[in-house]
Amino acid sequence: MSVVLYRIDERLIHGQVVMGWGPELEVEHYVVVDDELATTEWEQDLYRLGLPDTATADFLTVQEARARLSELDAASQRTVVLTRTVAAMNGLAERSGLRGREVNLGGLHHAAGRTERVPYVYLGPAEVEGLQALAAEGVEISARDLPGSRAVTLEALLG
Amino acid sequence: MTNLETGKPPGWMSSFLRLFVIQGSWNYRSMLGSGFAYCMIPLLRRRGLSGHELDEAVRSHMGPFNAHPYLAGLVLGAVARMEGGGTDTQSIERFKRAIQGSLGGLGDVLIWGAWLPATLLLALVLTWAGAPPWIPVGVFLIVYNSGHLALRWWGYSQGLQHGKDVGVRVRGAELSRLSQRVFSGGALLLGILTGAFLVSRFAAENPGALWSFAAIAAFGVGLKFGHRALRGTTLVLVLVITLLTALGNV
Repeated sequence: MSVVLYRIDERLIHGQVVMGWGPELEVEHYVVVDDELATTEWEQDLYRLGLPDTATADFLTVQEARARLSELDAASQRTVVLTRTVAAMNGLAERSGLRGREVNLGGLHHAAGRTERVPYVYLGPAEVEGLQALAAEGVEISARDLPGSRAVTLEALLG
Repeated sequence: MTNLETGKPPGWMSSFLRLFVIQGSWNYRSMLGSGFAYCMIPLLRRRGLSGHELDEAVRSHMGPFNAHPYLAGLVLGAVARMEGGGTDTQSIERFKRAIQGSLGGLGDVLIWGAWLPATLLLALVLTWAGAPPWIPVGVFLIVYNSGHLALRWWGYSQGLQHGKDVGVRVRGAELSRLSQRVFSGGALLLGILTGAFLVSRFAAENPGALWSFAAIAAFGVGLKFGHRALRGTTLVLVLVITLLTALGNV
């Protein structure tokens, strides 16, 4: 199994991911799943700036990534799959794409209509609905910003 | 109007100076957002905006933004350049969103992870070597801040010069490789310090040959493994050991 982490984080590739999770999970490859980013190369370059020499990144649309999930899992590179939104992760989980896997909530920040669940996770009605749909697809969900911090279960987040 | 020779828009100096307090209103919701808008004000004013227009423009720069404070100027400069060139607000927002995470990470590794510990270790080594207290303090302040100021200035002028393409320039500068080098330097100092500590604590009576041997061994250990040990906790440990030894030697 070569995808070592599925993470929802609005900041995508950034310090916590690269410096926090990267060394801990010995990550070699990042797959950013975002329909908008998949088509704008200049933006991709800016995200790639934060990568260490030892890691590479691909930017895929939700549809492309969903089609390649099993391929990513079979590859030898240790991979992290990142989405900016809960909705994109829902897209990956369609047709049992992520059944039995764990999804990490790493950063959804304050926006109109969202309320704080833990300091790094703010959820609105759309996110709550999306997370419940993920759980219904057989995905285990918890919030944890860094490998060393305590994981907060979905029940605790929604409770 | 931008001065075409230098690429610096009017108001760039006050804007640069305001960058020193960009963290002044840091908060969990917008992070550096309002600080960023505050730094933009001189540039917007000198572009002839006032009243309601200025109000709107400042508001458009208040969105959530985070980066390493020393490197925030790179984004500020690039945004100033992009606005001057007529780039639309949406592209500017996307630029800020895309570059901030990378700069935060690069800055943390370079400054908090490498430069600060390395320059502090340098000061500790000087203390060990018996320099009067004002020398390590002075050397630390001067060395640390010359790197700090150079990085701020480099980032801001790169941003102003290259605008949206600044990402390519930053990659060329290979900040992460620079971090690695500073890191190794720090590890080396950690090795020297460990050697000096071991020797002075356990071999005070016959420091000659043993001193040299232990120092070389510790130097090697630091060189080989120090990069793994050079973290915040190690630094605190070294400080505590230093203090204890200093007290023990009185």
